[in-house]
Amino acid sequence: MRILVVEDEPKVGRALREGLQAEDYDVTLAPTGEEGFFLASSQPFDLIVLDILLPGRDGVEILSTLRKRGMRIPVLMLTAKDAIEDRVAGLDAGADDYLVKPFAFAELSARIRALLRRGKPESPVPLRIDTLEMDLVTRTVSRDGQRIDLTAREFDLLEFLVRNKGRVVSREMLAREVWKETSRATPIDNVIDVHVARLRRKVDDQSRRKLVHTVRGVGFTVREEE
Amino acid sequence: MSAFGRLSIRGRLTLLYVALLSLVLVLYAGGAAAFLLRNLREQLDHRLNEDVETIEGLLALDNNGHIHLMTENLDEDARDFQPHFLEAWSGTGSVLYRSPQLGEGDLGAPPTPAGNPGSIGQRSIRLADGTRVRIVGRRHSINGTPVRLRLGLSEEPLWREFWELVSALAIGLPIALLLIGSTGYVVARRALRPLDSMAKRAEKITAERLGERLPIGNPNDELGHLGRVFNETLGRLERSFDQLRRFTADASHELRTPLTAIRSVGEVSLQRTGDAEYYRDIVGSMLEEANRLTRLVDSLLTMSRADAGRIQLQYSEFPLLDLAKEAASVIEVLAEEKNQNMSVEGDHGVVVRGDRLILRQALINLLDNAVKYSPESGRIEIRVGSDVGEAFVDVRDSGPGIPAEHRSKVFERFYRVDESIQGGGWGRSWAVNFGVGGPCSWGAS
Repeated sequence: MRILVVEDEPKVGRALREGLQAEDYDVTLAPTGEEGFFLASSQPFDLIVLDILLPGRDGVEILSTLRKRGMRIPVLMLTAKDAIEDRVAGLDAGADDYLVKPFAFAELSARIRALLRRGKPESPVPLRIDTLEMDLVTRTVSRDGQRIDLTAREFDLLEFLVRNKGRVVSREMLAREVWKETSRATPIDNVIDVHVARLRRKVDDQSRRKLVHTVRGVGFTVREEE
Repeated sequence: MSAFGRLSIRGRLTLLYVALLSLVLVLYAGGAAAFLLRNLREQLDHRLNEDVETIEGLLALDNNGHIHLMTENLDEDARDFQPHFLEAWSGTGSVLYRSPQLGEGDLGAPPTPAGNPGSIGQRSIRLADGTRVRIVGRRHSINGTPVRLRLGLSEEPLWREFWELVSALAIGLPIALLLIGSTGYVVARRALRPLDSMAKRAEKITAERLGERLPIGNPNDELGHLGRVFNETLGRLERSFDQLRRFTADASHELRTPLTAIRSVGEVSLQRTGDAEYYRDIVGSMLEEANRLTRLVDSLLTMSRADAGRIQLQYSEFPLLDLAKEAASVIEVLAEEKNQNMSVEGDHGVVVRGDRLILRQALINLLDNAVKYSPESGRIEIRVGSDVGEAFVDVRDSGPGIPAEHRSKVFERFYRVDESIQGGGWGRSWAVNFGVGGPCSWGAS
């Protein structure tokens, strides 16, 4: 999968390139709007990550020109200004999704996956990891064949973590996807932490191999320990 | 912009009413002159008619068929008939008599026989030498012979009188206008003088010196009104500038804390060597502070947008108890961790209209605080009800409460009572009132 990243801030650009390369994408970095536009119109990409504030030609302008030329590839817009008008302008110009800076990398990578998957049937993820098994129909969970009692919230939390197994999810993503909190300002980090701690007790305490891990400063992940 | 537009207001005002006044005066003078002319003509015509009758009696036909004017019969007073212009025509169009004053001239073309309307009645003509003459035509018969008479009187005295009036007006009018104009200018300048002093004062007002106010002469006139409105605007500006200053100071203070943490954690970790786990921990700790910064910037942005009135509230109607239960269910888990007892009760019938998301956020914040500041095994009671048309959510916790001297500041942003204050018992009570715009008040017990 080839991704074009148009970002003028060198540190951010390099970090995005490295992070996405680590996820096995083929990343090209364009530090200016002009270069980004040139690359986008001359080479095939599967997705473009486009900063809205660029020196010279800004993101909205580039995007609307690309769209006018009939380019259909998914575009993820990065905006520094948390203003409704910006979003409207970006979406009007033809962005498929937008992310407000500063964002968590986990969030960016999740959005990119969603955009690349768009339109294709979702490959069934077996909700199973190590000896943990989830049944979405009966909403039951078992570890080592032993049934675990989870509250509804804990079940949703575990489901989200297992669906994203191997990847780090931020508290913000959990707040939005599991708690359905749309605003970043609602302080439920403590709430999330308590739920994760309880979940960890129920899932991992009886087992030697831990599944639920905290990545300090970033979020949580479910993975098998190496 | 035209030359008129470049003038000052008082200049324009003066010019305008001088122009208007000139128009009125010229019309008036013209009317008066025309009226005078008509009156004088009427008098002249009246005299002509009288004179023609007198003259008819003085005419006599001699044997040669010539007409004579028998002025010798007249008394002394009437002798000055002499300057009259007189013509007598026969029915066939030959001149029977022409007064000597006319010389070689005449009083117009020969009258046509019977019924030429131009030859009967009054009209004004001009003689060959330029003298304007008013003439009257008459049919007459002397001893049975039909005769046409034309009697003329000079109009010159009449015109002289007319022009005298016109010239008197022409001299007086500009003087009057000049007088009125200059008086008007002075009056306008005096009336607008407060504007000058207001402008002078306004020049001194800057963002740093918003305390200045415009001087107000007469608060009841238009300028006073303007000044008052301007002063009120200045007051509002001053308040919002103060707010902005406070906001900037608060914001930089709040941002400094996580920034300092990031910096010192980074610096200290670079001074020693550790293993990967150590650095992972350091980076994680710095990221935690970065998250704090992100959240702070977010809320600062929200606040400044709210201050600017750019937040659109999404109104809907919903039962308040549902909202309270929802907020409590989110926070409940925190209370459980501290063995606190959180209860929600109230009237399900209390329906409010407001922005559900924002109210939910406010309530979650409030409950989060209640849990944070209540001791282990404390109680948090949430009660929903209504009082005289106002719905309320009453949150009672068992925290230390807010000391009386801090209560007025509770709604200030970033405000936090010194955390070292400890106390016990039934501490804080909050009542958040949701009106239409969501006025917020609280009571303490």
